Amino acid sequence: MKTIREWIKKHRNFNFFAGAGITSLILLVALVGIFYTPYASTEMNAAAKNAAPSLQHIMGCDNYGRDIFSRVMEGIRNTFFISLATVAIGTFAGILVGSVCGYFGGLPDDILMRVNDALFAFPSILLALVIISLLGTGTINVVLALGIAFIPSFARIVRSEYKKQVTLDYVQSARLMGAGHLRLIFVHILPNIVPVLLSSVMIGFNNAVLAEAGLSYLGIGVQPPEASLGRMLSEAQSYLFTAPWYALFPGLVIVLMVLGFALLAEGMTEE
Amino acid sequence: MKHYGKKLIAMLLTLLGVSFIVFAAFEIIPGDPALSKLGDNATPEALAALRAQMGLDRPFLLRYLDWLGDCLKGNLGESYSYHMPVIRMIGDKLPITLTMTILSMLLTLLISVPAGVLLSKYAYSKFDRAGYVANQFLMAIPSFFLGILLTWFFGLILKWFTPGGYVSYKKDFWAFLSYLFLPSIAIAIPKCAMSIKLLRSAILAEADKDYVRTAYSRGNSTMEVLYRHVLKNAMIPLVTFWGMAVADTIAGSIVVEQVFNIPGLGRILLTSISHRDYPVVEAVILLIAFVVVLMNFIVDLLYRRLDPRMRKG
Repeated sequence: MKTIREWIKKHRNFNFFAGAGITSLILLVALVGIFYTPYASTEMNAAAKNAAPSLQHIMGCDNYGRDIFSRVMEGIRNTFFISLATVAIGTFAGILVGSVCGYFGGLPDDILMRVNDALFAFPSILLALVIISLLGTGTINVVLALGIAFIPSFARIVRSEYKKQVTLDYVQSARLMGAGHLRLIFVHILPNIVPVLLSSVMIGFNNAVLAEAGLSYLGIGVQPPEASLGRMLSEAQSYLFTAPWYALFPGLVIVLMVLGFALLAEGMTEE
Repeated sequence: MKHYGKKLIAMLLTLLGVSFIVFAAFEIIPGDPALSKLGDNATPEALAALRAQMGLDRPFLLRYLDWLGDCLKGNLGESYSYHMPVIRMIGDKLPITLTMTILSMLLTLLISVPAGVLLSKYAYSKFDRAGYVANQFLMAIPSFFLGILLTWFFGLILKWFTPGGYVSYKKDFWAFLSYLFLPSIAIAIPKCAMSIKLLRSAILAEADKDYVRTAYSRGNSTMEVLYRHVLKNAMIPLVTFWGMAVADTIAGSIVVEQVFNIPGLGRILLTSISHRDYPVVEAVILLIAFVVVLMNFIVDLLYRRLDPRMRKG
């Protein structure tokens, strides 16, 4: 516990607290959204079609008279967990590929990094689109597609860190002590690249949020009637004139989500 | 010169890798192209004949080489759903997406360099703080949401343009360009915010170095030092960023095209994905990846021009 307190003391700055505040608010809404929403997210109400924000519906209603706030809550939850799973896949596979490449080097490294370079030519949302076109739509496939699309960038970062660490004295001494390759890779080196990994995970999370929102805006992603922030935006576009709040609130929530995490990441690296 | 040759070979290798990945990815799709072409009622004999005719019975590597040769000749196959050559379908869409990408890259450059210089000139002032906050906020906006906001404000409130009123470049080039302006802004703004931030910190980092003090002591004014010495060095990390931003910009344009109802590569990609029209998907993906690799190559050349130290190394 002491170390956490010291750590917070060291990183006490505006960015960190603003980011932590926004992120915990979003997280709270996502968690509450699992158990409770003011209205059922699919409950339609013909009398409240495109209703403006009011005390009953604080973000107004959509074209079916569904409560936008309830749908936003569900959307945050979906986006949050999809992004989390995406980053988990990307990080895990990235560590596996990157550590082996960076640690051993040689021909496998050359080949894998060439493949990585080639994969890098595809923007991640495009790569995800291709994978989805092969796998089909649906939440699980979106997670898989985005996760796979994120592997190259993580692998690249991990690899370059391993390349640096491998030459350091502590690795040499551990090797002399008789530590095997696996032990060196995961017990000795891995903890030392955590700081670098942490900041790229946070940036990766933001990219995942943006990519997920983009995919569901394109209609590929979480499928209706399940709510997703991106799809709400695309549906809202037809009602921009009569109900601008329908587009405004889901969009602002995406912005807040990304902003909170970006500030948090910045605050953590700032001295 | 030797270096450029090396880079060229590396680029060609990457392109080869890209084409192989695309081909292999579409090989592992479950389903038989001959079957999807003939329909479910085809006789086994007809299927076998078509498979032989399409070369599907040959080994994987040979088919890849054939396909690659066809691609180089400009033959990208035939669309399953429209029964026309893919090259004709995407040929006149490419200029639209490319124009949008170039326009937004240009806007990023034209906005971020002066703004970054301005912010670093007034570093640590209230103006700088305000710029910082605005930057953080703009970086977090997804470009398609920005596009919707721009449509709402400029299209529906101010009525400066008609949303969805896209004009083909073949009909009226200037109307086409002016319609692409707002979408390009929507793509450029988040990228601008990032480059402004990067440039500001690069300039401030450079400003502490010895050569700046030397330049001052030789009687140069701040403006001279800034433009002739500091900016040149501060631009180097920025060029790397712009190189990476190219891929993002193209990806962004695919999404933003949908916001503004522009019939570019993005539209064709999405419809062909939903129709499972694989030859078209394959061609579009390949094309975009080629553009990205090519742009990165150009950025790399620029990098060398900008930084003489790189030319020797």
